[in-house]
Amino acid sequence: MDDSNLSNKPALKQFKPTPARAPLNTNKGIIATIKHRCFNNIANSLLTICVAVVLYYFIRHVLDWAVFNAVFTADNRRQCLAISPDGACWAGVLSWFNGLIYGRFPIDEQWRVNVGVLLALVWLLPLFSKRIAMRNFILLTLIALYPFIAGYLFLGGQFGAQLGLFHGAMTCLALAFLAMIYANWLLSALGHKGLNELFVPLFSRLFKHRIQLLSCLAVWLPLALVFAVAISFISLEPVDIDRWGGVFLTLIIAGFAISMAIPVGIVLALGRRSQMPVVHWISLSVIELVRSVPLITVLFMAVTLLPIFLPADMEFNKLTQVLVAVCIFAGAYMAENIRGGLQAIPQGQFEAAATLGLGYMHTMMLVILPQALKMMIPNIMTSFISLLKDTTLVSIIGLFDIMLMARNIANDKDWIGLHTEPLVMISVLFFILCYSMSQYSLNLEKRLKVDH
Amino acid sequence: MTMPSANSCVENNVAIKIGNLNKWYSDHHVLKDISLDIIENQIMVICGPSGSGKSTLIRSLNQLEEYQEGDVSLFGEPLLQDNKSKKLIHQTMGMVFQSFNLFPHLTVLENCSLGLTHLRKMSEVDANQKVMTLLDRVGIAELSTRYPSQLSGGQQQRVAIARSLAMEPKIMLFDEPTSALDPEMVKEVLDVMIGLASTGMTMVCVTHEMQFARQVADRVVFMADGEIVEVGPPEQVLVNPQWDRTYDFLQHVL
Repeated sequence: MDDSNLSNKPALKQFKPTPARAPLNTNKGIIATIKHRCFNNIANSLLTICVAVVLYYFIRHVLDWAVFNAVFTADNRRQCLAISPDGACWAGVLSWFNGLIYGRFPIDEQWRVNVGVLLALVWLLPLFSKRIAMRNFILLTLIALYPFIAGYLFLGGQFGAQLGLFHGAMTCLALAFLAMIYANWLLSALGHKGLNELFVPLFSRLFKHRIQLLSCLAVWLPLALVFAVAISFISLEPVDIDRWGGVFLTLIIAGFAISMAIPVGIVLALGRRSQMPVVHWISLSVIELVRSVPLITVLFMAVTLLPIFLPADMEFNKLTQVLVAVCIFAGAYMAENIRGGLQAIPQGQFEAAATLGLGYMHTMMLVILPQALKMMIPNIMTSFISLLKDTTLVSIIGLFDIMLMARNIANDKDWIGLHTEPLVMISVLFFILCYSMSQYSLNLEKRLKVDH
Repeated sequence: MTMPSANSCVENNVAIKIGNLNKWYSDHHVLKDISLDIIENQIMVICGPSGSGKSTLIRSLNQLEEYQEGDVSLFGEPLLQDNKSKKLIHQTMGMVFQSFNLFPHLTVLENCSLGLTHLRKMSEVDANQKVMTLLDRVGIAELSTRYPSQLSGGQQQRVAIARSLAMEPKIMLFDEPTSALDPEMVKEVLDVMIGLASTGMTMVCVTHEMQFARQVADRVVFMADGEIVEVGPPEQVLVNPQWDRTYDFLQHVL
């Protein structure tokens, strides 16, 4: 046996590893680094100087136009040109800035838009706290319940009247849910148990199963009733959908498309990989049809063709049609992203899940999709960013999104012909939105990275 | 070797009975009329040259592969290749793979407790407690919060064993569990398997570790070209093989 061989081993030299040395110090300071990187030989030095000169002229002209020669206060374009003929006329953009952000939403009611966006952020905030349990569930409720609050805030009207009782009930449930999350979060931060934990001892005596769920409901439903009583007296000024516009509308369309793209994409991607022929062919044809048609065409079809197919008494507003169209379009693209991720998962993962006894849903939800989605974050985020930018196409079918608002400035009799500055302005706005999305995705990737 | 009669002893129940199993990959006949009884509480080692169908056989038992012909029964229950049989099989058998197949996005603890919390509906506390006992048994309790990528191959394979054991299988299948490991790590995995063998677990191991086979196997099956060449106790098959094919193979691996 091996053991007996080892026990009477001969006298050997003892191996001692050499102590490790510190790595060479490569940090030489800024000037040395620049000299080393940019001026290390004649060709590189010349190149550096050329680039510096070109950059200097370019930046100087841009700054001259955008800042030094620009006009920030003027009553109309004529004044702008009189003050500084070769500078930007930001005065026009600034006087229309409110319109760029809110569209034609009544100025007195714009606080509702702010509150709505703020509520969405408040809803998202717990997702960043490790203290909160079931963060996926909170994300799901954001998609399922938040639109009701937002709908009420943005459309207005007597509570529960214009939008119907179901909508009112869902709004109360949504508000109550948000309140419950925050109450529990606060309590757990203070070291107490959550509100629903109070009911656990009682329910565990009364019921056998689903005690957690029941105790949650026991807090949630009464809270919803309280909210219902509290806000049933509130009546908000009704705002017509046609008056929505600007960044506000862009965010609504993009936000809806982004939150629906993943679920729709997952269903289509799994459908396309399905063994069942009907499911497979339906998913395949939806994906291929939608992918091979430009978004503009899909939008036009949604607005002009859809009403023909629907019964005459069914009428949707333009925004709903656009939302459905964008959602299917985004879903089809997302499906292919997700399918790419699914195909990258080794067969062994499916086999391991199968041998543990996990069924199809469990395997997908617990094992395959978390890995596939994580792998595809860069692609998914690229889709989202292009989706956000693609929403500008809705201006073509007459929704006053940020693009159409910007072009409207040039039609204003005071600012007639002012094209460049509004476009620069919305480029900046889009850059801010898109860049923050890409930074968030990098951050997400870093946080989720656990393999290697 | 003579088969023990059915009523001779309680320990000698047939766990899996394979009768005339045939499998083709298109027109390549990979398993030819395999008939084999796997006895409860015994350890069966399947060895043979690569391409002999050992892995295919063990994967067919677990219905990860489809077979075209054959009667397989599990504790007397005939198995069809349908979802009901698959469910029964996956509840009864655990499997350990050559490439570990741990879930890379979950920690060691989560890997092992996944089935308990989601299938057996165990509470998280109970599941974690149970998993920690198992991790302790395979000697990696202190690594429970690590991710698979932070572990060595041997540690990963031990997690995979613990993950299978968590579901309390009656039979464990090992598909070349040490073939992907560095030589220094083979022993730690084999030690865990030897420990498991001593608890009376029914085990089927496809392996090239002849030392292990000699030490723990109750029966050794030698396969070549999709057929069973010899079956018998290790001292018979590994020391006094009756067939030239077995003799040649042993000359190469020993």
